[in-house]
Amino acid sequence: MDWRWDFTFDVVLPRMWEAAGVTVWATVASFAFALVGGLILMLLKTHRSIWVSRPATEVIEVIRATPLLVQIFFLFFLLPEIGITLPPLTTGILAIGIYNSALCAEVYRAGFQAVPKGQWEACIALNMSPYRTFRNVIIPQSLPPIIPALGNYLVAIFKETPLLSFVAVAEIMQVSKLIGAEYYRFTEAITIAGIFFLVMSLIAAFGIRLVENYVKRSILH
Amino acid sequence: MNRVAIVSALIAFLVGLSAATFSELRIFLPAILKGAVVTAQVSVLSIILFLFMSLIAGIGRSRGNTAIRWISTIYIEVFRGTSLLVILFWMFFVMPEFGLTLSPMVAGVAAIGLNFGAYGAEVVRGALGAVPKGQTEATVALNMSAYRRMTRIVLPQAIAIMIPGMSNLTIELIKATALVSAVTLVDITYAAVQQNQLHYRTIEIFLITVMLYYCLAQFVRFGGEALEEYFTHHLNKRV
Amino acid sequence: MTHPMIQFDKVVKAYGALQVLKDLDFSVDRGEVVSIIGPSGSGKTTVLRVLMTLEGIQGGTMFVDGEPLNKMNMDGQLVDASKAHIRRIRSKIGMVFQNFNLFPHMTALENCNESPIYTQGKSKAEATEESMRLLEMVGLADKSGHYPSQLSGGQQQRVAIARTLAMHPEILLFDEPTSALDPEMVGEVLQVIRDLAKSGKYTILLVTHQMGFAREVSDRVCFFDGGKMVEQGKPDDVFGNPQNARLQQFLSKVLEAG
Repeated sequence: MDWRWDFTFDVVLPRMWEAAGVTVWATVASFAFALVGGLILMLLKTHRSIWVSRPATEVIEVIRATPLLVQIFFLFFLLPEIGITLPPLTTGILAIGIYNSALCAEVYRAGFQAVPKGQWEACIALNMSPYRTFRNVIIPQSLPPIIPALGNYLVAIFKETPLLSFVAVAEIMQVSKLIGAEYYRFTEAITIAGIFFLVMSLIAAFGIRLVENYVKRSILH
Repeated sequence: MNRVAIVSALIAFLVGLSAATFSELRIFLPAILKGAVVTAQVSVLSIILFLFMSLIAGIGRSRGNTAIRWISTIYIEVFRGTSLLVILFWMFFVMPEFGLTLSPMVAGVAAIGLNFGAYGAEVVRGALGAVPKGQTEATVALNMSAYRRMTRIVLPQAIAIMIPGMSNLTIELIKATALVSAVTLVDITYAAVQQNQLHYRTIEIFLITVMLYYCLAQFVRFGGEALEEYFTHHLNKRV
Repeated sequence: MTHPMIQFDKVVKAYGALQVLKDLDFSVDRGEVVSIIGPSGSGKTTVLRVLMTLEGIQGGTMFVDGEPLNKMNMDGQLVDASKAHIRRIRSKIGMVFQNFNLFPHMTALENCNESPIYTQGKSKAEATEESMRLLEMVGLADKSGHYPSQLSGGQQQRVAIARTLAMHPEILLFDEPTSALDPEMVGEVLQVIRDLAKSGKYTILLVTHQMGFAREVSDRVCFFDGGKMVEQGKPDDVFGNPQNARLQQFLSKVLEAG
């Protein structure tokens, strides 16, 4: 194996730096989408009417059972056909966001269900409004399990962004492939992409543990 | 069993509906089914490697000596921390630099198996830790060897605990095989994309694709539930 | 010359700064039945656990049948024991646990057969014959095909005793064998232990809260407190005429509680 440091510093790193920005943006945007989308799906799934909850449940099931890559391709082909033209990056963010909304919905649901039934009953007995019930009693107690789970999905989304290279978004993986094809040298670019993901994931895992401990300490005394 | 009936009825209904509605089904279905064979091949081989690595690294990390523990931990952290697609490309494009050229199938199976093996190892480790401590103490009192302790007492009980987690990972693994289209293997996903570029029938083609993956996932789910039933039979106190 | 069956020589067991056994000297003769009593945290269960090698010790030496357990002779010097050495010595010791620790995925018979077949290398027929005899002895021959989850606590503990006997130990350790049982099941288990004690075939160390039973079956009773053996003697002396103030206090509390 030969590793060329000059090639690494002059060509690979500058272009990867730009691509890292795309990766991070795709991660953050998809995550934000999933946080909101998951909440909406959760509310639909737990809706009183079976005509709302049932379809929502099925949609969540189908999304979860389908490979993310298939969903990315599906949106990529479908949207132009129905007259919506979006840049590949936006389409990709949408696909990753929708996919993870279905996963986050389960996280929210599990979190709220983890609050003992007696807490809801106590709120009714104290004649609290639904808003105050959620704001002061339910949410504070369901956050400790929800936050680390959401953190894990943030890391998972980060590791899913290389799939955007399938639709030619210039994120890290795509750029390292392009560099490889241009210079006939794959080693440096792909290895650096790997190290980038590894380091970021380890940092994120450490961060999640910190947040988890903080939430536990500050909410449950 | 009830769910098997519901799912098969649903599948039959959808297949009939698509056949009736979309006349071009017979044009692109054979190609996609050919892709399904590739997906199944990659899945089966990857699952074997995944289970093997999960057991080795999971046992190694929880029961090995210091050196084995370190090696297992590094393997787990590296292969969980990087992205599957990056591992796949690394296998396919960088391994030849080390003099090891892998065929697309081997690279795909190795990348998927090693990636999921790292996740599975943590499931195995958790399951081993969940076997009550008294069980190990009883094996010491009965003077059993470490090997017997693991194979006769700890593993049989840990397997029952790990099945739900491993079956979820297996479903995720099958979904992840879609990535092998990146190294020129024509699996379900790649076949669907090719057919779509030929026929522009996005909704029908992807409906079939989703259905195929859904069937594969259900297959694993039922298998996992049956296995769990079998293994937990005597482990839980029955009333 | 005769040597004790079990001997502790200045044994130290500590969890960090907390010393659970402090330079413990203690010995049990062959065939002797010894009960260990004491308040919780006195180190009485620890005596059994370190002897069974479930936990390591930080100092001292334990001898079983005259041979060192945690050390071994090498060129005339005592060095830390190898795993093979520990396993050889350990084969003489059997232990019955508070929570039975039966293997839940095996029937009563399979639990009993496990050690004879896989550790002593007996044939399945040979092992089964003896296991059935032992199950018969504890009154459970008809339950041999049952899984632990299908047995009551008292039955589980009796299977656990049969399982221990199947490995032909010379020393039997009982760690609060009736503490996890419902009151109506205590008697059936004590009866089995009583028979074993009377048979004179085993050296028995019993940790228990059943003072009446300890007084009845023991040749000697030892009172532990704060990691030390504070008083020992014949059951009638220890229970009838306790010398140590803490023993007196302990007995009055226990007897008060019934």
